[in-house]
Amino acid sequence: MMKTFSIGGIHPSDSKISKDCKIEVLPVPSKVFISVAQHLGAPATPIVKAGDQVKVGQVIAEPAGFISAYVHSSVSGTVKSVGPRKDLAGNNMTHIEIDVEGDEWIEGVDLTDTLVTAIPEDNKAILDKIKMCGVVGLGGATFPAHVKLCPPPGKKADCLILNGAECEPYLTSDYRIMLERSKEIVVGAAIMKQVLGGCPAVIGIEENKPEAIKAMTAAVAELQSTAKGYEGISVMTLKKKYPQGGEKQLIDAVMGRQVKSMGLPIDVGAVVQNVATSLAVYEAVQKNIPLITNVMTITGDCLPMEKQHNYKFRIGMPLSYIAEVAGGVPAEAAKIISGGPMMGKAIANMDATTVKGSSSLLYLTAEQTVRGVESACIRCGKCAEACPMGLEPFLLQKYARNSMMDELEENAIQDCIECGCCLYSCPANIPLLDIIRLAKGDVIKIIRGRGQR
Amino acid sequence: MDKLLVSPSPHLHTKTSTKSLMRDVVIALLPAVVVSVLFYGWSELLVLGVSVASCVLLEYLITKYLLKGACTIGDWSAVITGVLLALNLPATTPWWVVFIGAVVAIGVAKMTFGGLGQNLFNPAIVGRVFLLISFPTYMTDWTKPQGFICNALADGYTGATPLGIAKEGGVAAVEGLDYMDMLFFNIGGSAGELSAIALLLGFAYLLIRRVIRPYITLSILATVAVFSGIFWAINPAEYTDPLFNLLTGGLLLGSIFMATDYVTSPMSNWGGVIFGVGIGLITMLIRYFGAYPEGVSFAILIMNSVVPLINKWCHTKKYGR
Ligand code: SF4
Ligand code: SF4
Repeated sequence: MMKTFSIGGIHPSDSKISKDCKIEVLPVPSKVFISVAQHLGAPATPIVKAGDQVKVGQVIAEPAGFISAYVHSSVSGTVKSVGPRKDLAGNNMTHIEIDVEGDEWIEGVDLTDTLVTAIPEDNKAILDKIKMCGVVGLGGATFPAHVKLCPPPGKKADCLILNGAECEPYLTSDYRIMLERSKEIVVGAAIMKQVLGGCPAVIGIEENKPEAIKAMTAAVAELQSTAKGYEGISVMTLKKKYPQGGEKQLIDAVMGRQVKSMGLPIDVGAVVQNVATSLAVYEAVQKNIPLITNVMTITGDCLPMEKQHNYKFRIGMPLSYIAEVAGGVPAEAAKIISGGPMMGKAIANMDATTVKGSSSLLYLTAEQTVRGVESACIRCGKCAEACPMGLEPFLLQKYARNSMMDELEENAIQDCIECGCCLYSCPANIPLLDIIRLAKGDVIKIIRGRGQR
Repeated sequence: MDKLLVSPSPHLHTKTSTKSLMRDVVIALLPAVVVSVLFYGWSELLVLGVSVASCVLLEYLITKYLLKGACTIGDWSAVITGVLLALNLPATTPWWVVFIGAVVAIGVAKMTFGGLGQNLFNPAIVGRVFLLISFPTYMTDWTKPQGFICNALADGYTGATPLGIAKEGGVAAVEGLDYMDMLFFNIGGSAGELSAIALLLGFAYLLIRRVIRPYITLSILATVAVFSGIFWAINPAEYTDPLFNLLTGGLLLGSIFMATDYVTSPMSNWGGVIFGVGIGLITMLIRYFGAYPEGVSFAILIMNSVVPLINKWCHTKKYGR
């Protein structure tokens, strides 16, 4: 029996149109704008000023707190300015503008393709490298990776789960790196599991990616037979169901354990990292390359096949530049999404630039994305059937519209992972998640406030 | 570029809409409709026509002129009520009685509660039960009008339903009944009670199209089977057997199409089971011990009224709790 998570879930069409497009390297533009807020937590503090010369991989902003991350220059050249610029939602954030000159890297990075399989012994040094290279989770939340890899005192990791589910429709970047960088990902996994104290590592991949399952299984087998430190790594085929890649759902699917409400994965002995994060860990630890690149998918039903791409980009590249290189924004595109269609963000501003966690430019047509007119709830229960957290969205929306905070908390609105399954499923077009998201914020504030008193 | 749409996630939506779901229910009812028309002929067509037309028209008039709100007939739910009401009536029902049934179903049971989604009771059943109480003679006249296809009802069953006969004459009176006839369409009864096969086809369609979940229907049928099984095992001379109880009367029509009505059934799967067991029990109590030969409609109505309570106590299993 193939495993999957036990509650709810939906089966939107796969739409992995760009899955056979090999990863291409995007040419560097003449100018980049690097945001200091590329991670969950406090925005980093810039340490360069206008006029400074920078090299590729040089630190240009430092973490401003425990949960924060280093930001590095993705290009070489001259810092033109440090100041506010609009991000993709249209909000102002500090960006470091750099005029590109040449492509000169900092000392000590290994830019060759040689696979380095020997894992350093010193865990402290490994964690330091991961932190200094600005590695953050690339599965969506961009949580600083080194923090997750240091379980708090008294907690122990029983299993490292590598998320290769890529359960969002359309996205194919994780799929491509699993095919093209399989061994590097496995080395990254071995490094992380060593840091976590040698727990087993499971790479979870959905059944609709047989090629990736094959490639990853082969990579694991090869490394296990040729190098040390790779025992206890395995590939697990998961049933296709959204949101398999949700942290809580993946833990349920792989380990059969459920994280308690408001709890952390490590409470049940789980650490989840995306396959792309594993690759970034490999590059940081084995190659000294800071996290300044990632892979993104350019796709959409309205794009002809030759304009579908998987690009290796550098952080700070304007989205409009990337769209241009990829062949232009299709006329039918009504909405452009950064991320998957279920949880991604609609782009308000194509002048915004790529960040570590960028994963796509997804073009949706009006017909695909414009919601129907809201009608009365017919009490079909489809939203509750779909909710992977076992919540009752029809009830939550009713309480939320009446600001019934106690009832909302009793019915666990704080557990909502904002996966969108409820809104996706509602035949009456009720904007369930829109309403729940707002109320959830308020309820969490109330819970936090109580905790402080 | 400034005309980009910006709205919160998710950015995709299922193709299933209220309208498509309701239309699927109508499609699932088609086999039963076809069988009843073939069997009862023009008079059944008239009942169906009057019922559907008055339900839709009444909903249109009420939303437009009384409530002055959005017109909701496009969602097909009034059509379902119309078809279900018709299938619950004898083919000989005069048109004006059908119309009164539609007025009660749509006007009273549905729209006064606020329309689709708000009503506590299943509109078609309310309409039917109202007629049953107000016009008992029309509602129990099962004489068989001329159908489109020729069929030979076994002698002696023309004027009554098997359940009615059993009530009157006891088990011995229905001994000669052939279950194959019940499976197809050779027994007396209201239009929708004719053919188990036609109704089960509809059930399969609803399940395949994921319109309904099976829990309510199956728990009703299981309860009826177990309950009648126990009594029949104790005294087969006094009580009808399980298969007879499953195949006759409005049980299949009620458990597949009316108890599963989204609006008037519980939200959770466990709630659905409790609801189904309740309907099954009440149905059998009425059939064996009550004054009426058939109790499915009453059972559903009674359980409709406890749905809010069931919903209060039965919640889905939450993650990590
Ligand atoms: S968005 Fe929240 S409420 Fe809706 S299905 Fe996902 S977890 Fe459940
Ligand atoms: S899916 Fe929509 S219509 Fe169905 S119960 Fe939930 S909110 Fe109501």
